[in-house]
Amino acid sequence: MKFVIEKISKSSGRLGYLVQTETEKRFRTPLLVQTTKGGSIPYLSREVFDYVTEEVPALQFTLSTIDHMVESLKLFNGTFGAYVGYPECLSLLIIRDSCELIPSGHNDKDIIPLFTRRGKEHITVKRYMDTVETLKPDIYQGLCDADTNLESSKKRIIKCVDRTAQFMDACYERHQNSKVLKKCALFAPIVGGYSTHARCESIKHAKAKGEKLANGYIFEGFHNYGLSACQVDSEQLIKVMTHCLNELSDDKPKMMPGAYTPPVMLELISLGVDIFDTSYAYCAASNFKALTFNFNLKTVENATSQPFLEISNESLKEDFTPLIRDCSCLTCRKHTRAYLNHLYKTKELLGPILLMIHNLHHMMHFFSTICKCIADDNLPDLIKLIKFQRGSLAVDYSIKPNTKIISKNDQDKNYTILNDDQK
Amino acid sequence: MTTKVPPLTYKVIAECSVTKARAGLMTLRHGEVNTPVFMPVGTQGTLKGLLPDQLIELNCQILLGNTYHLGIRPGIETLQKAGGLHNFMGWPRNILTDSGGFQMVSLLKLAEIDENGVNFCSPFDNSECMLTPEHSIQIQNTIGADIMMQLDDVVKTTTVGPRVEEAMHRTIRWLDRCITAHARDDDQSLFPIVQGALDANLRKQCAYALIQRKVRGYAVGGLSGGESKHEFWRTVNLCTDLLPKEKPRYLMGVGFAADLVVCVALGIDMFDCVFPTRTARFGCALVNTGQLNLKNKKYEDDMRPIDEECECSTCRRYTRSYLHHIATSQSVSCSLLSIHNVAYQLRLMRSMREAILRDQFPQFVCDFMAKHFEGETVPLWIREALQAVNVELPHDENDATVNVA
Ligand SMILES: [Zn+2]
Ligand SMILES: [Zn+2]
Repeated sequence: MKFVIEKISKSSGRLGYLVQTETEKRFRTPLLVQTTKGGSIPYLSREVFDYVTEEVPALQFTLSTIDHMVESLKLFNGTFGAYVGYPECLSLLIIRDSCELIPSGHNDKDIIPLFTRRGKEHITVKRYMDTVETLKPDIYQGLCDADTNLESSKKRIIKCVDRTAQFMDACYERHQNSKVLKKCALFAPIVGGYSTHARCESIKHAKAKGEKLANGYIFEGFHNYGLSACQVDSEQLIKVMTHCLNELSDDKPKMMPGAYTPPVMLELISLGVDIFDTSYAYCAASNFKALTFNFNLKTVENATSQPFLEISNESLKEDFTPLIRDCSCLTCRKHTRAYLNHLYKTKELLGPILLMIHNLHHMMHFFSTICKCIADDNLPDLIKLIKFQRGSLAVDYSIKPNTKIISKNDQDKNYTILNDDQK
Repeated sequence: MTTKVPPLTYKVIAECSVTKARAGLMTLRHGEVNTPVFMPVGTQGTLKGLLPDQLIELNCQILLGNTYHLGIRPGIETLQKAGGLHNFMGWPRNILTDSGGFQMVSLLKLAEIDENGVNFCSPFDNSECMLTPEHSIQIQNTIGADIMMQLDDVVKTTTVGPRVEEAMHRTIRWLDRCITAHARDDDQSLFPIVQGALDANLRKQCAYALIQRKVRGYAVGGLSGGESKHEFWRTVNLCTDLLPKEKPRYLMGVGFAADLVVCVALGIDMFDCVFPTRTARFGCALVNTGQLNLKNKKYEDDMRPIDEECECSTCRRYTRSYLHHIATSQSVSCSLLSIHNVAYQLRLMRSMREAILRDQFPQFVCDFMAKHFEGETVPLWIREALQAVNVELPHDENDATVNVA
């Protein structure tokens, strides 16, 4: 993987692209990567994702949701992308499922806890790097302890920096000596909670050992993923990130997985973060919210917008309009709010599918707009629009859980194990 | 004034020279339907995890909706305001709705039937309600399906005695009430239902009575409810003998592959069943030899598609191995298997139709049964049913032992 910076905007943000080594395909940054569960974009088959976009996606595979299929991949004649239906994708491997809240603790010596479908697994450097060699992603993150948030104790923060340094020493060594990993880009983890001092220590290590070996950086440890990412204290986050980015050279891409809200993503982009994922779109869809925030700078001055449309709201029962009037996604072209409300009430699987189609479409267009704004040097205008949505107060983008959502186990309850191959 | 084209026209395009199978073209208000046809069931205004566009991609021409469920949610008022179910769910092709009666009797324990209709306790407020033939038609008129079903008096298939006869006669009386209540005969076609359980005499009486009425197609009801397969095929065979050739015949609630092949041979044109989509949710995929339970560990490292010959979007992109790993744990697996299973049913119907058009249907039946029961005995009822329409399956050693027994 190669990273090329095209433009650093005078006002803020930067434009560039990642180049996939073998295909030489380019992926523009700021880049929105599609996060996945079990290798699939949540709710969407490849066929349905093709209705969302014709562009080749960058996919973020999350080890905690694919760990159980790694052994099978050894027998598959093709890339992991091909195994999950996307042979031509740019693949990124991260460790944790950014869509779900990750339990704290269990940070025993030499291992990282991985919360998978089968329960808690213990990941060692060896096991992790073996997996990376099997998966051969275009980009993978280094193993790290990222179990911190705003409340973390000083002791925990120091421990996570130390542990990460240890893990990374071993990762670098393995990376350097592996023929297979020559083609895989390694993103060095930067951890340390909200302590600028601890973050600096983490950066120091990453720079000393990884200067030559790391092709980019991944920032974790500001939250525990899931909905907690959209509730971060943005002031604190921006303060720490400003500090971190000043310490790091410009030439490498920086990645921040997690469901950050659109205004926080914009702030981070203006600081120089290049890669985000779609977990915000997922969290909204799985809590029955359609993204409706306005990112069109050309709209009339006095029209305010809401960040979401609550699909469970009874007032949608006979609302035969699309989610957003001018949205060109399949959901808005063919279906109404009333229908989505009906699918919500009947707990039909098509509900989250249609919401995910719209939310991904919305986020992808939001990112195209961001790229355009950076090119036109007017990212600050977009930031203002996103923050206030033409109103007088800052808009709350955090996602509150919909307590009535289809519980994950609901589906499972209906599954009984049938006799094998019954007629 | 120009005469309007009727909302249903049906033309037999080819007849099998050996069996009673036929290939037809049914033209409805929302497009053409090639028969024999399988209608996937979209109970609540959606087919489990599939987009309408995906169904069109599979060339699905008609879906089934359930009146009872749709009447509860979204409710008739909402459907009325939406301009019918086609608009509400964004499905531009044809829809068939049931009467709601069967669902009511099977889902609500307290449902009771008298001359006026089906009495039941509302599952919401426990108030006493009644579904009359007039109600059912009124609701179905609002839903706006291209084909609607009369309310019939449902008895368990295995019921015997005077109750069966009463139900059969009542079904005819209710048909007349349905016809009178039907307010949109220019857009929707009402199908009567042949009842009479397993009693040939009652089935005859019922069919004769229905044929006297002005209707555009017929359904065969009250089967696949616990009767033996021997009684099942004989009843289907009798009904197709009784019903006029120039109108479509719909066998309700039948959809297992072998049953479809036998019943097409017996002269049925339309089928519906929840099985293909329901079994997908449990991680099962339909193939010619039966079904694969992809949860089974033996598929963990199986890098073949579900079916090498299937051209569905799932088989084009995914291996059994991957499906094994996500089956029942990622909801996308439900969509992936539903696509394949619906594709399988539609492909089976299409290949039967093509075989009929080439007048090679008997050969198709033999090939299908050989594959479907590979290494096993073809059930006796299938042999007998096929013999009744002049198809003799080739014998093997296994069969001989069965025949002796
Ligand atoms: Zn939309
Ligand atoms: Zn298939």
